[in-house]
Amino acid sequence: MIAACVKWVAGVPEPGDERFAGISAADQAAVELALRHGASMGDDVVVVTAGPPAAERALREALAAGATRAVRVDLPADATSSDVATALAGVVGDAAFVWCGDYSTDRGSGSVPAFLAAERSARQALGAVAVDLADGATISVTRRLDGGRREVSTVSAPAVVSVEGAVARLRRAGLAGVLAARTAPIEVRRPAVVVPDVAAIVHAYRPRARTLPPPHGSTLDRLRELTDAAAAPAHGETVHLDPADAADRILTALRAWSYLT
Amino acid sequence: MDDEPDVDVIVVGGGPAGACAALVAARAGLSTVLLERGPFPGSKNMYGGVVYPRILDRLIPNWWETAPIQRWVTRRSTMVLTDTQALTVDYRTEAWGKPPYNGATAYRPDFDHWLAGHAEAAGAQLVCDTTAVGLLRGASGRIVGVRTDRPGGDLRARVVIACDGVNSFLAKEAGLFEHTDAKHYTLGVKETLALPKEVIDERFGVRGREGVDIEMIGCTSGVNGGGFLYTNLDSVAVGVVLKLPKLAAQQLRPEEIIARMKRHPAIAPLIEGADLKEYSAHLIPEAGLAMMPKMTTDGMLVAGDAAALCLAAGIWLEGVNFAMASGMYAGEAVVEAVRNGDVGVEGLAGYQRRLSETFVLKDHRRLRRAPEIVLSDRVQHLYPAMVAGIAERMFQVDNPAPKPRLRTILKQERKRVGIRRRDLARDGLDGLRTFG
Ligand SMILES: Cc1cc2nc3c(=O)[nH]c(=O)nc-3n(C[C@H](O)[C@H](O)[C@H](O)COP(=O)(O)OP(=O)(O)OC[C@H]3O[C@@H](n4cnc5c(N)ncnc54)[C@H](O)[C@@H]3O)c2cc1C
Repeated sequence: MIAACVKWVAGVPEPGDERFAGISAADQAAVELALRHGASMGDDVVVVTAGPPAAERALREALAAGATRAVRVDLPADATSSDVATALAGVVGDAAFVWCGDYSTDRGSGSVPAFLAAERSARQALGAVAVDLADGATISVTRRLDGGRREVSTVSAPAVVSVEGAVARLRRAGLAGVLAARTAPIEVRRPAVVVPDVAAIVHAYRPRARTLPPPHGSTLDRLRELTDAAAAPAHGETVHLDPADAADRILTALRAWSYLT
Repeated sequence: MDDEPDVDVIVVGGGPAGACAALVAARAGLSTVLLERGPFPGSKNMYGGVVYPRILDRLIPNWWETAPIQRWVTRRSTMVLTDTQALTVDYRTEAWGKPPYNGATAYRPDFDHWLAGHAEAAGAQLVCDTTAVGLLRGASGRIVGVRTDRPGGDLRARVVIACDGVNSFLAKEAGLFEHTDAKHYTLGVKETLALPKEVIDERFGVRGREGVDIEMIGCTSGVNGGGFLYTNLDSVAVGVVLKLPKLAAQQLRPEEIIARMKRHPAIAPLIEGADLKEYSAHLIPEAGLAMMPKMTTDGMLVAGDAAALCLAAGIWLEGVNFAMASGMYAGEAVVEAVRNGDVGVEGLAGYQRRLSETFVLKDHRRLRRAPEIVLSDRVQHLYPAMVAGIAERMFQVDNPAPKPRLRTILKQERKRVGIRRRDLARDGLDGLRTFG
């Protein structure tokens, strides 16, 4: 079984307004990859969301696009990431691969996939910018590193992979699929009631105020200092070429620096 | 068989016409699919801003309790402008501010979404993000469905109701329009300007949910057309409607025409300090009866703007109510036809009959010459100056000169502006015949 987990967000910027509700581009990419992965392995694709009944709209969209099965875990919208991960793990327990988006349209901290991997003791590859499904059993995942570099890892089951929105575009559902999905059954599971550990959260840590010197230098310099852009190797080089060769030279350089693949 | 329908009715377009058509069909128990190309009904739709929902009494009792209304129009003004003058006829009534109300300002993404929600609640299957790109025809040539832009996108039905708005490709493909002509269309452009509610209340002299509807003539930089200004809760809509061939000939940008109108001394103080939130533009089928298509063909009907049923006659710019009504009547006729097992032109004749017997075609017939009169060169370019000149001289005190007689003023102003007496008399009579 291949699974995709999506977070339905009820209305940004107007909470509760279904016109602005939905899942992130990253979650859509996760559904698309799960569908491709399922097709390549001849495996079922289950799409899961933890959320209120209105979230079933996102599941129906996934069913319309070709998912085999849809499950909603009935959780309030404000459940914590770890509770959501626990709830999801109960559904996707034996999936070989679980695909997630690396941000939702609200909080977007991308922590649920990490919690989920921990919950299942599965491998994790988070924040993928490119994915190669290869033979399906072992996939290759490209992630961002500092200084424009990329890391390519080989990942085998069981694994949780979270992807950025640009990795794949959710296919356009066929008309028959859209119509059938409107009435398709959606399995609803109710997790054991989660009692938040109130004691642990009411005493927020408040560090004492500290006076800092005013910022110095230009904003650009400070930005360079904060990011490690300055540490990245200097690529500067002046060449004199005619336009066609110059274009080739630029492409070669961009490839060498991993801006292009 | 190839022609076996998937559903009873396909309604194309989730605007006011489509929502009402689908509502009626679904409520009668017909399986109904409502196709909308936008992500939700109303997402792609714009208009000036005032809707007259009285016709909804028949479909949604006490609609005013749930409709997403911005303000109830309790003040209607008509303004005649020249570059430096403004003559306003202003009417206000308490009656329009309480049930059962009259006109209201509303945002289309709210209103259309709400109305289509009623169709869905009645059982219609709303399919968004889906564009009908063509018609399917059966062996006899009868229309048996639509092709959409989705994979495997053909959908078959007993009847198709085309509510796809102005410039309807479906109505054209079905051969319902004999010819189309740019001169039958106007371009409507609008800016939505944000202002705090208290500021709007103060500037327009209204309270609570009361709102204002202002129609203007003489504010379109010499391009034949008109202007409008409507109040929402915390924004105002300011726009113009422009005759297409004139606009093209004048080589003026519509946004420049709005900008000039906004600088007019009578308008500028009303919108001072406002933030531009949205600019939108849309065609209007302006010519009424002169451009209307055939309303039915075998297996298909056309309603709303797609059937050029918008009433755009000068101080009236009513399209939404005509769309809702025609959609509703199309729905009723389809229910009848499906029950009788005849969805050919004959079987669908109930639609044309309903349109003819009600305000939809009665108003259009009575006001058939109105668009032409209101957009005529004299009404557009000469009368505003004459009327404003008369007002100015009537109210101006020129002591020690005595007050001139109205008749004298009229004659002098007519001459100053350059209108022949014969034309004035003829236009007066025409106006009286049409509007009287
Ligand atoms: C500037 C301006 C000001 C106006 N002011 C007013 C006013 O103040 N009051 C008033 O009553 N009327 C006004 N009107 C007129 C009014 O907007 C229209 O008459 C009315 O919207 C017509 O409704 P409809 O349902 O026929 O079409 P529309 O509202 O145009 O709806 C058509 C729907 O069909 C969808 N659609 C189109 N093609 C397809 C397709 N191929 N497949 C699927 N879906 C499709 C569209 O997305 C849309 O939702 C104004 C119009 C303009 C342009």
